[in-house]
Amino acid sequence: MKRDSGELALSYLERIRSLELRSRTKVMNVCGGHERTITQAGLRNVLPDGVELIPGPGCPVCICPEEDIYHAIQIARQPRVILAAFGDMLRVPVNAPKREPRSLEQAKAAGADVRPIASPLEAKRLATESPDRDVVFFAAGFETTMAPVAAMLAEGVPANLWLLLSGRLTWPAVAMLLESGRPGFDALIAPGHVATVMGPEEWEFVSRDHALPTAIAGFEPASLLAATYAVLRQLVDGECRLVNCYPQAVRNGGNARARQILTRCFDIVAADWRGIGTIPASGFALNDHFAAHDARARESWMTDPAARKRAGEMPPGCDCARVVLGRIYPNECQLYGRACTPRHPIGPCMVSDEGACRVWWAGGIRESVTTERPAAKAV
Amino acid sequence: MTDTHIALAHGNGGRLMRELIDEVFARCLDSPSLDTRVDAAPVPGPADDCELCVSTDGFTVQPLEYPGGDIGSLAVHGTVNDLAVSGATPTVLTVNAFVEEGLEIALLERLVHSMGQAARSAGVAIVAGDTKVLRRGEGGGVYFATTGLGVRARASDLGPHRIEAGDVLLISGPVGDHGAAVMLAREQFGLRGDVRSDAASVLGLTQALLDLDGLRFMRDPTRGGLATVVHEITATSRHGARLRETDIPVREPVSSVCEMLGYDPYYLACEGRVLAVLSPADADVALERWHAIPGGEQARKIGVTTTESPRVILETAIGGERYLEELEDDPLPRIC
Ligand code: SF4
Repeated sequence: MKRDSGELALSYLERIRSLELRSRTKVMNVCGGHERTITQAGLRNVLPDGVELIPGPGCPVCICPEEDIYHAIQIARQPRVILAAFGDMLRVPVNAPKREPRSLEQAKAAGADVRPIASPLEAKRLATESPDRDVVFFAAGFETTMAPVAAMLAEGVPANLWLLLSGRLTWPAVAMLLESGRPGFDALIAPGHVATVMGPEEWEFVSRDHALPTAIAGFEPASLLAATYAVLRQLVDGECRLVNCYPQAVRNGGNARARQILTRCFDIVAADWRGIGTIPASGFALNDHFAAHDARARESWMTDPAARKRAGEMPPGCDCARVVLGRIYPNECQLYGRACTPRHPIGPCMVSDEGACRVWWAGGIRESVTTERPAAKAV
Repeated sequence: MTDTHIALAHGNGGRLMRELIDEVFARCLDSPSLDTRVDAAPVPGPADDCELCVSTDGFTVQPLEYPGGDIGSLAVHGTVNDLAVSGATPTVLTVNAFVEEGLEIALLERLVHSMGQAARSAGVAIVAGDTKVLRRGEGGGVYFATTGLGVRARASDLGPHRIEAGDVLLISGPVGDHGAAVMLAREQFGLRGDVRSDAASVLGLTQALLDLDGLRFMRDPTRGGLATVVHEITATSRHGARLRETDIPVREPVSSVCEMLGYDPYYLACEGRVLAVLSPADADVALERWHAIPGGEQARKIGVTTTESPRVILETAIGGERYLEELEDDPLPRIC
């Protein structure tokens, strides 16, 4: 961390400590990047005892439906196919029959041509370089990933490039939690990258309709502490609004060009979230203009509905759904650190660098607790 | 050399191979002690108070060239540095080259030139070598393996077994540069930045400390980076270690790349840095000496060993703490 922002962070910490909070306060974040900073900087052990920071649905890999991963595995096993996917998608396990590959990584080991990529442009390059192959880009991610995917599409797509799109919008998951009547948090830290693309306005509904203080944060500890202070201060003062604590990047209206390209390429549809279920108007789908590149629509690649359903069953004991919803901390899952480790992940939250379980494990949290909160402390 | 690309025949032991060795390796390495016609090279025997050290390493980095270095110089620095941190002065190197059919000879020349240059500036002679040509598709352009011989004082006794609680950890410069540079050169992240590999010989840095009685241990944090080396130190010495985040130098472009891609700079490879553990009494002298030599200007004390359980604790800038654990697998590029 830069030294001057270190001092800034400490000054926010002082201000937080001087607040007179009336009761336990739970602040949820919905971005894997935020959770990483919180854990890596050790924010939880320097905040006052009554303040809890809860990781919520902020990991695109964790909420990607098993059915889609199963579909990707099946397509990868087809002749002449190159399946390209973001690196952290490869190790996510799904429920497949014995002898069949349970992850893209296993499919790759069994001979399928699966390529880990880091940017949508690499998928396009693969397609251009291999005109005699079908290149299928399994694109899972939030708005921040879908914007570059759309930009790549808008510039023209080779005929042999297909998309298996599994893109999601972030705010509908938060809306769903709030409307469930049992959100489990008192204030929200909204994702800085998403707000940079889509604009801060998307997050106004949290304070306006649900009376919860909200702040948009960047990824430095100083920015996260500023946002934490902003929401706690509002709770103390009995106020409630949206504060932008990441003004360097987040501007009103977001990135107009990126939003325009998103609208040009995608429709917004109801979508499944792993462990959560269907959330209305929460997914990106290729619009008619790109129908010829939609891997889901290609008949010879369709999967058997029964097998899809089985793939969608969560492994026994896996608590990913409750972790993703912020109902429990990662180390409250019975499998945490026992059956489920980064080397042998059971659920997706232990695979992705954005997944709360992986973030906590990488931060050195080894003890699992099955008692009530707040039993989790980093060190 | 008349050919422009490597053919399988360049590895067949005949005229083409001769040409490859003489006109690329001998010419580009430009080492007077390299006799390409002998199979074994004599090495000056050590005096009574010295012993020979040997070290060997293979190099397969992709891409072959990246900002701040290439596989040729890396193959020299890697082995030279392994000898240097064990307290030895490297004297001679041997080189094995595994060249893939189809490699452009102009590229090979550039790499071997840079290898020769690296060897000369580290003061080590390349005295023997071997070349194999792999079929197209069997190698990533070129792989190198180098073996180095060095001499060190018999009295030298460096190792984690000498580390005591309360010792001081020093790093000779900013961490993560090599790893970040190679990653950026490899992936099409569409990111550009002033990130260059730190690859260099660390011989000057290690020799500057060798006469200090309080010098316990040195290591160059290559694969797995700083965190992995400190982790090893705690695991073998059975002492704890505490590092201070604000004291660990990370260059600004490296930390922004890491922030954007979700990497931790403490786990990214360095190829020209030394981590040294010293008694508190000698740590200040060591730091002063490093500051005075090229490559050591940004050296810092970054932490201490403790009587706590053998884990690495990072004290963060805001006064929090976290453990630095062993790497689980290759870091994957993050998705959003
Ligand atoms: S420990 Fe494993 S199974 Fe449990 S919630 Fe985390 S990822 Fe899922």
